[in-house]
Amino acid sequence: MSPRKKATAGGPVEVSGSTPKSATTSKAAAQKAKGNLSDHTETAAESKPKRTKTAKKVQQHIHRAGDDTFSALLEPFYGGKGLTDPIDTAKDKWNLLPAFLKVKGLVKQHIDSYNYFIEHEIKDIVRANKVVTSDVDNTFWLEYLDIRIGAPDRLDYDDRKPQNDITPNECRLRDMTYAAPIIVDFKYVRGKSAILRTNVAIGRMPIMLKSRPCRLAGKNDREMAHMNECALDPGGYFVVNGTEKVILVQEQLSKNRVIVEADPKKGIVSASVTSTTHERKSKTYVLMKKERVYLQHNILTEPVPIVVALKAMGIQSDHEMLLLVAGDDSAYQDEFSVNFEECAQLGVFSQHQALEWLGQRVKMGATKKGSNNRGRNYVGEALEALATIIITHVPVIGLDFRPKALYICFMVRRVLMAVHDPKLVDDRDYVGNKRLELAGQLLALLFEDLFKTFNNNLKINIDKVLKKPVRSMEFDAYNHMQSHGNLITQGMNRAISTGNWSVKRFKMERAGVTHVLSRLSYISALGMMTRISSQFEKTRKVSGPRALQPSQFGMLCPSDTPEGEACGLVKNLALMTHITTYDDEEPVKKLVFVLGAEDIASMSGIEIYAPGAYVIFVNGTPIALTRKPKEFLNSFRKFRRMGRVSEYVSIYINNHTNAVHIATDEGRICRPLIVVENNKPRVTKKSLEALRAGKMEFDDFLYRGMVEYVDCNEENDSYIALTQDFAEKTPGITHLEIEPFTILGAVAGLIPYPHHNQSPRNTYQCAMGKQAIGAIAYNQFSRIDTLLYLMVYPQQPMVKSRTIELIHYDKLPAGQNATVAVMSFSGYDIEDALVLNKASCDRGFGRCQVFRKYAAHIRKYPNKTSDRLGDREQDAKDPSKPIKKHAVLGPEGVAMVGERIHSGEVYLNKETPLNTTSSGIGSDYGSNEHRPAPMSYRLPDFAYIDKVMVSQTENETTVFKVQTRQTRRPELGDKFSSRHGQKGVVGIIVEQQDMPFADSGVTPDIIMNPHGFPSRMTVGKMLELLAGKAGVLNGTLEYGTAFGGSKVDDMGDILIKNGFSYSGKDFVTSGITGESLPAYIFFGPIYYQKLKHMVQDKMHSRSRGPRAILTRQPTEGRSRDGGLRLGEMERDCLIAYGASQLLLERLMLSSDAHEVDICERCGMMGYQGWCQTCKSTAGVTRMTMPYAAKLLVQELLSMNVLVRLKLEDEFPHPK
Amino acid sequence: MSQAYQVPTVAPSTTRDVAGDGPAINYLCGDCNSKVPLKRGDPIRCKECGHRVLYKERTKRMVQFEAR
Repeated sequence: MSPRKKATAGGPVEVSGSTPKSATTSKAAAQKAKGNLSDHTETAAESKPKRTKTAKKVQQHIHRAGDDTFSALLEPFYGGKGLTDPIDTAKDKWNLLPAFLKVKGLVKQHIDSYNYFIEHEIKDIVRANKVVTSDVDNTFWLEYLDIRIGAPDRLDYDDRKPQNDITPNECRLRDMTYAAPIIVDFKYVRGKSAILRTNVAIGRMPIMLKSRPCRLAGKNDREMAHMNECALDPGGYFVVNGTEKVILVQEQLSKNRVIVEADPKKGIVSASVTSTTHERKSKTYVLMKKERVYLQHNILTEPVPIVVALKAMGIQSDHEMLLLVAGDDSAYQDEFSVNFEECAQLGVFSQHQALEWLGQRVKMGATKKGSNNRGRNYVGEALEALATIIITHVPVIGLDFRPKALYICFMVRRVLMAVHDPKLVDDRDYVGNKRLELAGQLLALLFEDLFKTFNNNLKINIDKVLKKPVRSMEFDAYNHMQSHGNLITQGMNRAISTGNWSVKRFKMERAGVTHVLSRLSYISALGMMTRISSQFEKTRKVSGPRALQPSQFGMLCPSDTPEGEACGLVKNLALMTHITTYDDEEPVKKLVFVLGAEDIASMSGIEIYAPGAYVIFVNGTPIALTRKPKEFLNSFRKFRRMGRVSEYVSIYINNHTNAVHIATDEGRICRPLIVVENNKPRVTKKSLEALRAGKMEFDDFLYRGMVEYVDCNEENDSYIALTQDFAEKTPGITHLEIEPFTILGAVAGLIPYPHHNQSPRNTYQCAMGKQAIGAIAYNQFSRIDTLLYLMVYPQQPMVKSRTIELIHYDKLPAGQNATVAVMSFSGYDIEDALVLNKASCDRGFGRCQVFRKYAAHIRKYPNKTSDRLGDREQDAKDPSKPIKKHAVLGPEGVAMVGERIHSGEVYLNKETPLNTTSSGIGSDYGSNEHRPAPMSYRLPDFAYIDKVMVSQTENETTVFKVQTRQTRRPELGDKFSSRHGQKGVVGIIVEQQDMPFADSGVTPDIIMNPHGFPSRMTVGKMLELLAGKAGVLNGTLEYGTAFGGSKVDDMGDILIKNGFSYSGKDFVTSGITGESLPAYIFFGPIYYQKLKHMVQDKMHSRSRGPRAILTRQPTEGRSRDGGLRLGEMERDCLIAYGASQLLLERLMLSSDAHEVDICERCGMMGYQGWCQTCKSTAGVTRMTMPYAAKLLVQELLSMNVLVRLKLEDEFPHPK
Repeated sequence: MSQAYQVPTVAPSTTRDVAGDGPAINYLCGDCNSKVPLKRGDPIRCKECGHRVLYKERTKRMVQFEAR
């Protein structure tokens, strides 16, 4: 934690107490509440000139609130409560949540991580590689002074366009990359003088949307709308070549931490640590095998006895070593003392001998190439391996091996402990042992690699020039800087667009790091941003990594995981989780010593393992010792709550190992909790009032120590109350949960009353919520996606949840409130089929639009030819009309907007040049002919041309994007689902007059079969219906928030008050017979989602059609008009039944029957009645066989495998 | 002897269309919504504001929808 940040921390706290704010009227305060996001982020970003700014800010608010009525909608939502409404801390503490989401939020971890990369990490990388020298001329040097990222701009800049900024949406439309220049300042030698160059662009960095350099950061709704951007868009992704790419969060085992594991089968107990620094990544093991302890590392040819290793690190006395490992505990001493024997047998007694012995076992080539075996300097090699390669993350300064030796001693100690008590092994699946890798870290790895290559290339180029004895002009390294400027740009672009991350230095070769942002619905995009993918391979049949871990509570959503192979491996963040960024260790270390801990390097084993002594680890490395751990912990926490230490630094005590752990590293999962001191929650009524009035923000709660971030390890060391009541009554409570429903993620938060559902149903809904058709974004009509589903009349759900409001699902909903009758009807409703009301469909229920993009690039070829648009062809008989295929084309060869286009019609009459390779030298011009390459509409159903866009990409090629639109009403077989994992297809669409009706004359939109309930146990759906019905009658929107929501009794009362049964059942009359139904029907509104699976996209049949070229079998798949396969299992049925002729027809005649000539004598194939092998026509017979079989025979032949076909009479002569 | 090498007098034009050929089609600027008449080979760019995303104008023909 740097002191600068502390000042920021203090800033807002002081200001709100004594600023001109008090002078402003209450109206101004109210306006501030309505203010916009931009100002808040502004204050967070810079708060030095605070005093003057606050006054100005209020002014701004008044101004903005006047012209920007919309942004009030984006403000934290406090459940419609006014400023004067009474506050109940127990109930209203959830108000903190919207405040949290405003400053942190669901995708904030991506953005924070990227910002950290842009602002700090990139500078560190350049600082670490700042000098470029030359091997040829040792007077030459080049030094980078600074690096920064500019504002995103366009490459095709000219004076015609006044501003050079670019919007993300323009990048999407024009297939460009949303990137900003990487600017460096550097000094270098030219001739005899040093030259300073500033603002030199060395490449372009893709910009994450809504990150600090992005144009969208901190803009209000009006500005967003002006840029054609959705105000609710979460950001956190990249636009590369026009596609939106997300770098998914990657889950990994934590680095630089010791993990103790036991393998009872092999009898091995091992402590391993994966050390990573900027230069190196390596894994070191300390393992116990056959009761002896070894040190193992890739650089060592064999496991090394631990005593030798420690001796080599300068712990020469056996006694000292014994104490450092085992203390005065005789059990551990006995266990360890065996190892001394082995060392003595090896004849290793001194450090020099140990190094000599170790050096012989250091792998050749790993340290230095060239030196042969004889001339090796064993001691030097051993020293180097120990100092820089084994456990790299513990630095060895001036050959002081003490810290590293201590580190290894602690590892040995952990192994001994685990041998004694098998319970003391670590759990790999424990969330506290995991780290999440985010976009910023991954980009940093990539950038470092690219920057190093860039400098390397630069150096090679410089050397090349400097090698020349005579140069025509003065050498200027600056010119070489520009010559390979594309390396960084293209490297970044390629990695993000393909998802292949390859960093040679770390031997990292990862595929599938990035994904295309799914824009099926708002929820699917949001769900993608919170997704965590695991590095474990999916094929392994272990349940451990897939199982729900208790430590995931509040951090990862328990419901949101896919079914099937990735089940439990792909996770989602819960609503309030945040992922930490790196904080500097140094100030924390300083604070540790300030708080009275003693340096561990000067301690002996007796002191370290004395009873009551606790070792303090900072990021897994022991640094100090304290005898008052609890006091130390409390005062450290106090400092953190005061804001003297970064809020993300966590501290906890591990009583098993007598250790205090402090973590400042990046990628830990944490969440905010309310601090409880002496059974009093620090968040009070007053502070909540201040929050509601807009006088306080979430960060103020943090800096005042009312709320703090707690990571998984610290959570384990706390006593967290779920309710205020419990917190006040139970002694020892340290924290209070802000709201229990935040244990669910954003997607699971859509489910009303999820705590009443069987848990797999919630998981199913999490998968289906992402497929629901609805509104996608405010800018959905100005973006051209490959495939876009939109609902025509989306509605916000009658039964909402707090999460729905927080993630603004109510503003971009995906579904409609259907009146549902739970009864059986017509028999077309078995197996979850739904009965739909035809009149409802006429009125727009479930109606959706499907947009498709067809893009075409007008390419330019190297020989100056290019694609072109052909003319519309006129009909030969009636020259006034174009031919049928060109019916919708305009005169220039592009479809006209608004026209109806049918299958086979051309929408873009492209022509490509016949000759694209001619050089143009001499008379080699090639032909000037063009070949028609029209793009025609291929779908069986017609569509309308909705939009035709024409633009130019970055490399000046023209791009046409034709968007087509279909409007679809629900039809038989379309898939619908409620929010409880209850999906069903439309089984029948019934006329309204045939539908049953209630007393009031209401007919249902959907009739659902009651058999859906007993086995699924989705009680939440029933409660949704009840609450929805009460809401409809009452004119309110009810809540189905998890672990809360509207009470059933209250809903029943409302129903009774409105003359309905409290149970939600109605008296219903049959529409067909006019008789009253013999039972009361459960009747009311349920929110239904239309899912993207529609019959129109799947319907397929074929009698005859295309065949694959190679096998001559029918093609596969609907898109290729493929055949319907009679598969193995169907074949088995026919065999079992004995329908041999049917089988023959299906497998031969209807597929790839082929006539071949076969020679009966040699069994090989001939042609035209002639056998080439026997050179005769005798014995050649014609027969029919599958072409694929013939192909196989020939393919085998080509591999020198002869297949002879032996023929036999089908009906042999009886003898 | 054979003929001496002759420098080709006129290089055959590689493109059929020199800028300005063909009918001018009206496009609408994606930024300022002004009409931009474009001919074959013209740079794709709004004449008013320099924006480079253009949309085609809606057809003048009658389009009949089936309301259902």
